[in-house]
Amino acid sequence: MSNTTAAATPGAFQFPEIYNFPPFFTRQPNESTWQEQRRQWCDLILAYYKHNRLYSLTLAEAITEPPFTNRQIHRSLRVDVLRELVDDLVKQGNASWTGAKNAKDSCLVLWRKPEVWASMIYQWANERGLFNTVLTVFELANGDDAVGQEFHNLDSVTLRRALDVLQSQGKAQLFVGTSDEDMGVKLFV
Amino acid sequence: MRRAVGIGGLRRKEAERLAMSKKGTELSQREIEKLREQIAMMKDNLEDFVREHQRDIRNNPAFRVKVQRMCQLIGVDPLSSRKSYMSELLGVGDFYCELGIQIIDICVATRSINGGLMDLDELLRRLIRRRLKGSEPVVEDDIRRTISQLKPLKGGYKIVCFGKRKMVQSVAREMNSDQAKVMTLAQYTCKFTMEDVRVAFGWDEDRIHSCVDDMLRSGIVWMDEYNEAYPEYWVMAFFSQLNSTLTMANAE
Repeated sequence: MSNTTAAATPGAFQFPEIYNFPPFFTRQPNESTWQEQRRQWCDLILAYYKHNRLYSLTLAEAITEPPFTNRQIHRSLRVDVLRELVDDLVKQGNASWTGAKNAKDSCLVLWRKPEVWASMIYQWANERGLFNTVLTVFELANGDDAVGQEFHNLDSVTLRRALDVLQSQGKAQLFVGTSDEDMGVKLFV
Repeated sequence: MRRAVGIGGLRRKEAERLAMSKKGTELSQREIEKLREQIAMMKDNLEDFVREHQRDIRNNPAFRVKVQRMCQLIGVDPLSSRKSYMSELLGVGDFYCELGIQIIDICVATRSINGGLMDLDELLRRLIRRRLKGSEPVVEDDIRRTISQLKPLKGGYKIVCFGKRKMVQSVAREMNSDQAKVMTLAQYTCKFTMEDVRVAFGWDEDRIHSCVDDMLRSGIVWMDEYNEAYPEYWVMAFFSQLNSTLTMANAE
């Protein structure tokens, strides 16, 4: 397993060249140009969020900040366009709407899919001989054993999603505690 | 005998024609013979020269260009066929074939962004970046030759100019003169508003709208709605070139 700490990747994020192109922040009327534009935006969002280890996005707030605002060229993406982009990400399994149903004002950005997190956690548990022991969910991601792992200090909502996947695969059992941090999990073969 | 090309070919043809038209001159036959001998000798010399300098031809673009011009003058086309003795001798059949594939690849990959129009300098830069270290250097002349080889393909590859800008077009499209005028208008700023067009050319609104719509539809222009009253239209190919030269300058 890699020895990288689960901190944000060092060094500034490298924006693609198109990020300095003012029309990139306007939804293009030409359909095929828009298809390419939305694809580039989705890639950019996932890469940016992954680089900075960000997990959640509240649309109204996000558009005033990078990557949705480029201060150098004085351009910002509109909220309705961002909503369309998040819908795209949801469709490809890289985001999910949170908050009030159908409000579409906040979401989780799953730059790494829960299935992948799940498999990382499971492999680690196997290597550490942690099967059939009960851990708190908090301990799993934040304990000493997790230091150096990709999922160290993982956002709790995303972590929960990953554990849900393991549970649905029959590889884990979750136990309700008094709070999310008390929640327990047992992993097994 | 190879089909006559270039100045050498023309001279030969003319010489033959003149010779044939002279009535009752037995000298004419001898003149033609001599001419043929001289050309054969020149070809032999050129072959020897090329064989000797094969590596230099592949690795030195300036030198390669000069040798190509010589071949053209004598009436030998080094690019015509991979099987031709000349292209095997020069070893350039592979070079241009590979370059053609790389150019097509780059153009196809960027088509949905720039509508099939790219600045020649930008194409050159991308090619250089993409080619492996140690492979032969590429210059603008090589791109031009390769593009003319690609002409028969359905892609419609050709070089078009807007003012001082040289562009590679990779989509079969006839740009009308209105669009070409607007492209030339925008060549330095990369963008224009409908008002700019009206001030520059005095066209009526319908004509301007129609032109801009065509350019949007072809994907060569993107719209910027920052100023909703006066949207700006940006030519992606012009911007790409400007942006990467700036990026390179800042990096140094």
